[in-house]
Amino acid sequence: MSIYAVDGLDVRIDGKVVVEDVHFTVEAGQCVALVGESGSGKSQSCLAPFGLSPGIASGSALFGETELIGMSASTLRHLRGRDVGFVFQHPLTALTPHLTIGIQLSEAWQRGGAPAPSRGDMITALERVGLDEPDNRLDQFPHRLSGGQRQRALIAMAIAHKPKLLIADEPTSALDASLRTEIMLLLDSLRREDGLALLLVSHDLAAVAGHADQLVMLRDGQVEESGPADRLLATPQSAYGRDLVAATPKLTDPPPNLPETGARLMAAENIHVSFPRPGWRRERLRAVADASLTLHEGEALALVGGSGSGKSTLARAIARLGPKDAGLVRWRGETLPERKHMSRRHRSLIQPVFQDPTASLDPQWRVSDIIAEPLRHLRPDLAEPARAGLVRQVLQEVDLPDDFANRFPRELSGGQAQRVAIARALVSEPEMLLLDEATSALDVLVAGRVLDLLERLQHERNLALLFITHDLAVAKRLCHRIAVMEAGEIIEEGSTQQIIAAPTHPVTQKLIAASRA
Amino acid sequence: MTRSRLPLLIVAIIAIAALIVPPLLPWTHSAIDWDAVRAPLFAPGHLFGTDTVGRDLLARTLVGTRVTLAVALAAALVALVIGTVWGAIAGWYGGKVDEAMMRLVDGLYALPFMFVVILLMVVFGRSIILVFIGIGAVEWLTMARVVRGQVIALKERPFVIAAEAAGAPSSRILTGHILPNVAGVALAYLLLTVPQVVMVESFLSFLGLGVQEPLTSLGILVKEGADDMDLQPHALLIPGGVLVLIIICLTIAGERLRDRLSR
Repeated sequence: MSIYAVDGLDVRIDGKVVVEDVHFTVEAGQCVALVGESGSGKSQSCLAPFGLSPGIASGSALFGETELIGMSASTLRHLRGRDVGFVFQHPLTALTPHLTIGIQLSEAWQRGGAPAPSRGDMITALERVGLDEPDNRLDQFPHRLSGGQRQRALIAMAIAHKPKLLIADEPTSALDASLRTEIMLLLDSLRREDGLALLLVSHDLAAVAGHADQLVMLRDGQVEESGPADRLLATPQSAYGRDLVAATPKLTDPPPNLPETGARLMAAENIHVSFPRPGWRRERLRAVADASLTLHEGEALALVGGSGSGKSTLARAIARLGPKDAGLVRWRGETLPERKHMSRRHRSLIQPVFQDPTASLDPQWRVSDIIAEPLRHLRPDLAEPARAGLVRQVLQEVDLPDDFANRFPRELSGGQAQRVAIARALVSEPEMLLLDEATSALDVLVAGRVLDLLERLQHERNLALLFITHDLAVAKRLCHRIAVMEAGEIIEEGSTQQIIAAPTHPVTQKLIAASRA
Repeated sequence: MTRSRLPLLIVAIIAIAALIVPPLLPWTHSAIDWDAVRAPLFAPGHLFGTDTVGRDLLARTLVGTRVTLAVALAAALVALVIGTVWGAIAGWYGGKVDEAMMRLVDGLYALPFMFVVILLMVVFGRSIILVFIGIGAVEWLTMARVVRGQVIALKERPFVIAAEAAGAPSSRILTGHILPNVAGVALAYLLLTVPQVVMVESFLSFLGLGVQEPLTSLGILVKEGADDMDLQPHALLIPGGVLVLIIICLTIAGERLRDRLSR
């Protein structure tokens, strides 16, 4: 007897079909993962039958023996409160900021009509999800907890009323790699102990591999392929499934063919960065402490670490795009001037590409103006036609058609916007690119194509790359060397092979274990 | 579409009527019709009747609307210019500059501003210019805060950092990237400032501190109407209605624009 069975499910939003003929079943203690790119309808298939999305569901969704489709909103609400738990992507926005964890947990506990829990009950519940100091946590407000702790608290709330089914919509996407594994392991143990059925939604095949029993691969609202997770990941049957599996970088991929490296290009020596702590006290918050890095011509260096480890701050200090307390950056032996005194020549050496492709482009500028901006300032000698020529040339280089020059950023998809950002970085012919999580906000297939593009540029332009990422598998694809950061310090550095095969620092070992799973 | 434009359309109709209709009327706002003192509604020659000294109320309402809107628009523009420049500088430079500039704003906020405007009127005498300056000088505070907040948020946006990497000087980043992206929100607050200023102006005029007779404004008309409301309620209701209509329509339009931009 399955806990939850969906058959022939269609979901319409404003009359438009977003999910068509989706079917899957979830057994007790089993984990079924819906995977696919953004807009593939995976969240809609999960939430619409429970009345948690604006979509209108039709078809069949059997919860135990109850048919959800056509149920009244109040019966659905009752059922959600009694038998189903939900965990969402953003742990901070899912918690109410002005109520303590204890109050919110107690509220969740009583949702299904249970009596108010004692403090001891709540402490046990928090202990169960692996939250440390549960006694103190009950009286704390959500902002005091870190991302991983918040997600644990949310899971505690989602299972407080002892549901039969837990629906987790991208529960780990906002967390970094090692936390991701911990949360997935927690969900695994809950399934084992309570026989809880888990319906997981994820865009990341690597995140669900090893945890999900069944995979349902969605594309444009339709099931592309489904079956046991192990089989589907090893030998996908559909062309799309093969693409998706191939595009997901894995640590076990064979070592890539990387370009030769040349003379030393950049050396950052003893960089320190701190920020003033908000509030009245004149304390400073240490972000980067005594970090040194070198980069050679044509070399790619991955800077990996958890969120908040100071990767971006260090990279921005090196590129003179962020604050710096102390330390030197040498460029072929010459010392780079401070942020405010960078000359045109110096600025054109290093160009950045950021994580969020749409936020990196001024919404009010056309693509042609965005790409031409560095030329206008760094190459004032160029006349307008020459500039336009270079813009066309670089658009071609990032595989975008000429007519994109007249578009506005809102008319671009995420992958296209990131290509425009790369084109802007390339147009002034820098010797080094600073890629700050440049592919993490993109869908797997799109990210794979952007990585292909970067790989080609690396070979063609002999570019040095400083590649910031939290994902070691991605780092392995492009980078000669890896530097690992933790709490503002570089704790380990070495060749990619060496770090992945024999990590010495426990933090690195944890990161690698997380990427292997 | 039509629903969202209705409020602005109403204000536009009122403003255009206030601009072009008065010269076409047989009576000016200050001319006295000795034969029709306190004429009722729809009296011959006086559509809205006349006031206690026989001045045509239609002409006076239209001229009053014109004065009120002109004061409001000018004061809101003063607020926009001072507020945007002040807020942008404070937000962009940050640190001690920001601290000093915004504490000054806080200090001015703490002053009972109606009292300050009244004091200015008393010291320098009543003049329409002074009403502009007085109100504008107070209303820019909110604008400065809004713009500063926007600038601080934009300053950390990747496209601004990318512009720095592209070698753009601060002045270019401010004028090319930051201000255009603040403009929408500033415009929304401009729309919200206008009705506020209309209120303040009317209030000052009601107290007898606004524009000088025989020139009139909606506030003066409401006051005169209120003095005579037991005999001629329409003399209060007509200018009062126009005033309320303008304030409500501009507030709705401004809030809609703000909500759309801050999404």
